[in-house]
Amino acid sequence: MSMIVSVEDVHKEYPLGKVTVHALRGVSLGIEAGDFVTIAGPSGSGKTTLLNQIGCVDVPTSGRVLIDGRCTSELKERQLTALRLEKLGFIFQTFNLVAVLDVAQNVELPLLLQGGLSKTDREERVATLLESVGLTEQRKQRPNELSGGQRQRVAIARALVTRPAIVLADEPTANLDSETGDRIIDIMKALNRDHGTTFIFSTHDERVMAHARRIIKMVDGRLSSDERIGAE
Amino acid sequence: MEALARISLVFRLAIRSLWAHRIKSAIVGSLMVFGTVLVVSGSAMLDSIESAMSRSIIHSLAGHLQVYSSNARDELAIYGGTTMGGLDYGEIPSFKTVKDIAERVDNIKAVVPMGINVASMSRGSELDLAFGRLREAHRKRRVKDQTQLIPAIKRLLVILRDDLKNQVSVTSGPRHAEVTSQLAHVKTALTETFWATFTEAPLKGLEFLDTKVAPAGGDGRLMYLRYVGTDLAAFAKHFDRFQLVKGEAVPRGKRGILINQNFADKRLKILAARLLDSLEKARKEDVLIAGNAELESKARRLKTQSGAISILLSPENVRAITPLLKSKLGSKSDDFDSILGDFLTIDDGNLAERYQTFYSLMAPRLDLYPFKIGDVVTIRAWTKSGYSRAANVTVYGTFSFRGLERSDLSGAANLVDMMTFRELYGQMSSAQRQELSAIRKNAKVKSVSRASAEDALFGGADTSATEAMDVSGRFSEFDGVDLKKKRRSQDERPYTQSDIEQGMALSIAVLLKDESQIESTRLALQDALTKANLKLKVVDWKTASGLIGQFVQLVRAVLYFAIFTIFAVALVIINNSMLMATLERVREIGTMRAIGAQRGLILSLMVTETFVLCSVAGALGTALGTGLISWLNTRGIPATTDVMVFLFSGPRLFPDYTSQHVWIANTIIVIVSLLATLWPARVATRVQPIEAMRSAD
Repeated sequence: MSMIVSVEDVHKEYPLGKVTVHALRGVSLGIEAGDFVTIAGPSGSGKTTLLNQIGCVDVPTSGRVLIDGRCTSELKERQLTALRLEKLGFIFQTFNLVAVLDVAQNVELPLLLQGGLSKTDREERVATLLESVGLTEQRKQRPNELSGGQRQRVAIARALVTRPAIVLADEPTANLDSETGDRIIDIMKALNRDHGTTFIFSTHDERVMAHARRIIKMVDGRLSSDERIGAE
Repeated sequence: MEALARISLVFRLAIRSLWAHRIKSAIVGSLMVFGTVLVVSGSAMLDSIESAMSRSIIHSLAGHLQVYSSNARDELAIYGGTTMGGLDYGEIPSFKTVKDIAERVDNIKAVVPMGINVASMSRGSELDLAFGRLREAHRKRRVKDQTQLIPAIKRLLVILRDDLKNQVSVTSGPRHAEVTSQLAHVKTALTETFWATFTEAPLKGLEFLDTKVAPAGGDGRLMYLRYVGTDLAAFAKHFDRFQLVKGEAVPRGKRGILINQNFADKRLKILAARLLDSLEKARKEDVLIAGNAELESKARRLKTQSGAISILLSPENVRAITPLLKSKLGSKSDDFDSILGDFLTIDDGNLAERYQTFYSLMAPRLDLYPFKIGDVVTIRAWTKSGYSRAANVTVYGTFSFRGLERSDLSGAANLVDMMTFRELYGQMSSAQRQELSAIRKNAKVKSVSRASAEDALFGGADTSATEAMDVSGRFSEFDGVDLKKKRRSQDERPYTQSDIEQGMALSIAVLLKDESQIESTRLALQDALTKANLKLKVVDWKTASGLIGQFVQLVRAVLYFAIFTIFAVALVIINNSMLMATLERVREIGTMRAIGAQRGLILSLMVTETFVLCSVAGALGTALGTGLISWLNTRGIPATTDVMVFLFSGPRLFPDYTSQHVWIANTIIVIVSLLATLWPARVATRVQPIEAMRSAD
């Protein structure tokens, strides 16, 4: 199977005060399209930094990250932004919804940024997604009227609305209780199964890890293990 | 369609985030509203004042343009500068030359010659008048009149005595001795024995009063009088603010003066009337005498005026008024002086009624002014060469400038005919000048100092030069006035329009057909004059009116400074609160960037936010500002001071706005707001998408 993401000997250093933090010390891995991957590890192990490299919100100090065959460090900022818009969806630990827009508008936002769809097409897509995350009734509500789980479901819908090749989720359940967390993971799994979207998410929660098909563990900026669970 | 959807997204986001940060929006918005109101109403007010003031200035004295000599040492100040008179405006040798040139320049409607100068005018002393009346009563053998005059004279003498006592204590040397002896004479005149002897030998008493006492009363009051010598007929025709109040226009070819009504009321009128006027004015402004030091002092001074008033009243009038006043006041006494004293004792309760009674009952029987229409008055001026000239002119009437009746600034100028002006100015014709240099040559005088010029050239026993001068030229320095014997007669020689136009002027007022073309016409006229080799300069009314013209500029500078300050503050505040709001939204902006929003979109979000806010604020500010001006327009702003009357060109200003004021205000607000957004927008567009990944802390 082709690699939708390939990471080649990526190093990432950034200054923190007077010291230089080596967040990634030579990471290489490949992720196949349609996979459901978790990146696990204690905090400070570099999993968020790795996700940022894959999510094109950051570029490596050395090494290469290829998203669908395109090397991120060779792209200009505009092109990186466009790449994020086209290929990637983001689910944030803190949901990051736009407070001044209602649920449907939040979900519609990437479509508007992307352009190219008619109003009815957009509405249809938003409606379908809201239904699949179970928020049809809340479509006119503002984020601050929703529970944490509901907010994260909005975020999932938003991440998926542009039908991206890859959805990145940094600790998507960290701010949710375990039951809600499970539901979120179930929804993600269902979408992965139905649409073949590649999911890459980080977590340090063993229960969440259990849902993944591939678990990549990190310690001190390096991969410590890479295992595939079962075969579906 | 998709662009439209994006624009609508941007607007939606902008409006929503404005609403989400409503406190910030309200603060920033109200600043913008305030700024807009200030610019709209302030600039509309200023323009209204400027156009009102320009009407006042242009159509009362200045004209649109003024032409005067390039050799002038002082800048032309039609309404007076910082100094009283003595300004050197150079001179224009021939009005006609300039007129001929000006008439060929487009857009010039009329030219009027002018000469501004200061003269003095004196009022005889009240004692002189009183003694004169007493002498007349004696001559006509009217004992009753005498008995009425004597108490009034005594009252004047008491005031004079007190005044002299003060002078004795502050003077020294010969002046001290003089004052001391005068005081002794006045004291004598106040004794009972003096008046007892007076009844027996009135002529001897009168002589004592005339020779010993009267000089102590001084020469009366000396008044300065600013006047504009002009072609009176042309002036009346072209300056549409000019209107006669009393009397008639000076007939063509006659010498005469028109007194400014305002000047007459505020300077020339008898003191009692002026004091009453100012008390009544204060009353109308709801200022009470009691407790107001200035008004209390005026009321006290008014009480001392009974002597002066009773002297001014003829004995017949005193007899006529006495019973009327008595019944009005319910007084028991029959003595006019004590009744008058009571009448002039004024407080807040009786002021209105006393004022009314004074003008209805007494004023018609008094000479309120030192002149009557038709009187010949003597005015004196210093000529350019430094000696005094006097001219006797007929007072033909009084005038005012319409809308400026109460304004001192335009009210200080009186009008005289051009011929009299030239005489007082000391102008010599070219023939006279030749004559003078011939005399100089004959007398072998090389240079003559100013102080001794008169004696050296014309004075002394040698009168031949004077005779020689008399026969030459149209304007003789010696016509009309004999320096040794001051005769109250006036120059009756008629003059013609050509006499007016051939001669000199200090400046020339130019009136235009199209008022909007002032600057281009000014340049055209200047050009024409320069081409004709005339060393003259042309200035617009603002420059010509001296300090007054610059007043609007000053107010404008103050307003602009205020506007600048307001907007500088607004800029800082808007910038700051936008920046705060941006920093609060870093994660949101980061999120949008992460999910694929380009920097341009973030920038347009920021700009749209500001733009929406400033459109609303601008509209609101415009509505408030124009509303305020419209309201003031229907109501009018009352001019509470004389300066305001002048600035407003009348008792009320009705300000108006134009689309330009609105346009400028809104442009400024948009520019300032966008400038204020520059830095926050820069910060916003620099927000990295990675910010979205940071956990909310």
